[in-house]
Amino acid sequence: MPRNRLTTLVTALVLAAWGTALAQPKVVDYPNLGMTPATVGGTLTFPLADSPPTFLYYAQIDNNTQTLTGVVFDSLVEFNLETYAIEPALAASWDVSADGTVYTFHLRQGVTWHDGTPFTAADVVFTYTQIITNPEARAGDAAQFMFTVDGEQRPVTFEAPDDATVVMTLPAPSAAFLLQQRFPIFPKHKLLPFTVEGGAQQADINNAWPTDTPLAEVVGTGPFMYDSYVAGQKVGLVRNPNYWKVDSAGTSLPYAERLDYLVVRGNEAQAAQFLAGNLAVLNISGAQFPDFKDREVAGADFRVVTSPALFGSPPHVAFNFDDPAFSEVFGDVAFRRAMERAVDRERVIDDVYNGLAEIPGTPTAPADGTFYEDTKPLMLPFDLAAAAAALDELGIKDTDGNGVRNVPSGRDLEFSLTYNADSSTFTDIATILQNDFGKIGVKANLVGVQGSALLSTGLAGDYQAIIIALGNQPDPELRKPIWQPGGSLYYWHRSTQPATPGGEPNFAAMADWEKRIYDIFDQGTTLVDRTARVALYKEWQRLNAENVPVIMIAKPANIAAVHENVGNFVYNLGVIPGYNPVPHYYVK
Amino acid sequence: MFSYLVRRVAIMLPTLVLVSVVCFVVIQAAPGSFTDRYLEDPRMGPEAVARINAQLGLDRPLYEQYLRWVGGIVTRLDFGYSFFANRPVSTVIGERLFWTIVVAGVTMFFSWLVAVPLGIVTALRRNGFTDAVASFIGYVGLAVPDFLIALLLIALVLQAGGTQVGGLFSPRYIGAPWSWAKLLDFLNHMWIPILAIGTTGVASVMRQMRANLLDVLNADYVRTARSKGLTERRVINRHAVRTAINPLVSMLGLSLPELINGTIIASIVLNLPTIGPLLYDSLLAKDQYVAMSLLLLASLLLMVGNLLADVALAWVDPRIRYD
Repeated sequence: MPRNRLTTLVTALVLAAWGTALAQPKVVDYPNLGMTPATVGGTLTFPLADSPPTFLYYAQIDNNTQTLTGVVFDSLVEFNLETYAIEPALAASWDVSADGTVYTFHLRQGVTWHDGTPFTAADVVFTYTQIITNPEARAGDAAQFMFTVDGEQRPVTFEAPDDATVVMTLPAPSAAFLLQQRFPIFPKHKLLPFTVEGGAQQADINNAWPTDTPLAEVVGTGPFMYDSYVAGQKVGLVRNPNYWKVDSAGTSLPYAERLDYLVVRGNEAQAAQFLAGNLAVLNISGAQFPDFKDREVAGADFRVVTSPALFGSPPHVAFNFDDPAFSEVFGDVAFRRAMERAVDRERVIDDVYNGLAEIPGTPTAPADGTFYEDTKPLMLPFDLAAAAAALDELGIKDTDGNGVRNVPSGRDLEFSLTYNADSSTFTDIATILQNDFGKIGVKANLVGVQGSALLSTGLAGDYQAIIIALGNQPDPELRKPIWQPGGSLYYWHRSTQPATPGGEPNFAAMADWEKRIYDIFDQGTTLVDRTARVALYKEWQRLNAENVPVIMIAKPANIAAVHENVGNFVYNLGVIPGYNPVPHYYVK
Repeated sequence: MFSYLVRRVAIMLPTLVLVSVVCFVVIQAAPGSFTDRYLEDPRMGPEAVARINAQLGLDRPLYEQYLRWVGGIVTRLDFGYSFFANRPVSTVIGERLFWTIVVAGVTMFFSWLVAVPLGIVTALRRNGFTDAVASFIGYVGLAVPDFLIALLLIALVLQAGGTQVGGLFSPRYIGAPWSWAKLLDFLNHMWIPILAIGTTGVASVMRQMRANLLDVLNADYVRTARSKGLTERRVINRHAVRTAINPLVSMLGLSLPELINGTIIASIVLNLPTIGPLLYDSLLAKDQYVAMSLLLLASLLLMVGNLLADVALAWVDPRIRYD
């Protein structure tokens, strides 16, 4: 033991003298989040919902691969954990040309890969040109770097004038460009053979770093290094002693000596492992909250932490504007406004989320300090009598006396309500909606589908009404395919989508407010003036509140259970690139 | 015997082909596609999804996808590619094989170890108190699903302040070299799957053994053995039990495919790193070659198990001859 302590001490001294002097440090400190400087040591154990399919972030869209990538790799820029502002990471600073088209990133000096190889601008250019913009990479993002200027497709270009500088040249200004540069950067010296530059085919990148790769090959620049992997059971990580972040006391991060990700499938199994003390922290749902809170109050050695959420997915209910039977009704703003009055948001928040949710934005998260517009005054509160009266006024009355209202064509207002049957939360919401709709003579038949098939059901237009939750992001530009009419995920009004993918959207199908929203997103993409952009997106949220393309239901809070021996805890969704509080966690 | 074996193997081949067609059709008939997972991600446009479909060969006609898969198996023993893990199916299945065999082997060993003697005892004490108690427990074990027993055991362990609530090891022993402490930790975890999964097996084996033995005990040769003046112990052990156990041999053979699909839900609940959860995931995600290979493997094991059982029967029971 004393010997270990001595080693730690010597390591710390060496680090203080050399390590931080070598890598250009970034001092991070979040007193407002309750963080304090701590000492290095100990093991933290986190849950992983399943084995990662691959160690290469760009080869598969998967939460587990993303979670691990977040602690092993770095990106050029990252989020401030408190304000969500963009801050330096691997790029120590940057300049943007006056016209907003040339971004010059000055890389952090002295950063090395986990195998000791120096990190240089060549790695960054390699990651962008050979992997991220590789159209065959299954989790790449080629589309992000291809701009349409005057009807012509033009790519962003990447150059490395020297080892410490990366220049990205855009065909046109792009307001959210910096925010998007949270792509993890990968080592050229390890991945070159899998790329076109290294003589392989484009699709070969997906075969790099499967999970049976020797871990010495899988090197990043991040706070932790891969140490062991046992398929189906555990991923072991050790502290990177050369990491470039330091706390205000000069201690280099991360604090934890080891990080173990235990593969535990399913919420109940994870809860059991947490309660048994095998997991240090656990993200839980509102439905699990009462049980955990009871145990905390009864003196268990953990605390339940809740915080408002920026990321995360608020559910909404959507009516299919293009439904063959009810398109005239569902496409009518007055009908959707009437139905909004039959959606009991307060009850969902109280009964389904146990109070740990709030009235959502339309759709921006209330926790978003920049873009959120408080549209609550425009949203209609629950009032079944008013809903019934509004339907009467539209001429949707029960004309045949069977207890179900009839639309003007005479047909019963009876439709399917599709929801994710894998989730008890959505099952409960669907039941509440069905029940309240029934009270005003609107008959909804529940259709449960597998969670993984929900969105494709929506996109195929194979529903009449549907409950879906789509995630919030810190900039509306990142959710443009969902909310811009004609976008690839604008599923509730599919007739606005272009006849051929990538073509001109069908403006003829758009209502006036949809055309305005379309323009807002178009302008928002290139507008560099931040104030003007914020104003545009606030207008969009008001338009959404007034025209209810979808009826937003609730915005769930972040809830986590944290054992008492974990310090500096900040809620971590795990899968958001550039938002990573794990290096700050320490073992008390 | 040899010609019998050849005949049996020859029949297996067309059966396997038929099974592979059925597996393929069933998986194609399920709604959704592997690439559905890409739709919500803001990084993925419809063109990108189309490109991935092409990479995976999902844009080819169904018969072509099927023939390619079967062709790979026949010519190179190549079971295809896991869409999800970006590597050959055989390696994906291979890394789970060891623990699957260990868990299935150990639970089966213990359930037989308990069930066979219990079956003998209950047959000898027919309709007595022991019989009633053992049969009751057996029926309950048969009636209660294994995952429910698993959940109850986990709840009990938690209540008692234990830490072994799933998995095969405590976190610190996973991936550590074998030691006495690790073995002890393993046994400390393993009793839960043994109890949860084994209980179901105990009941059926016990009932089978009991019925067989009761039949045999009424047979003429047992009466003859008794009348020769042999001790009751010798009559039971040498004459009755040896004959009564024969049908269990075929039961053993038939339980071979349970390696793959016997304990899916219990394995998920107990967080065991076995093949069951892999099959479940691959079916949900439509990782078609993994799912199809596992289903094919399960039917192959069933046929091989059947064959082995028949051969073993001929070996242990002199009355059975196949030629």
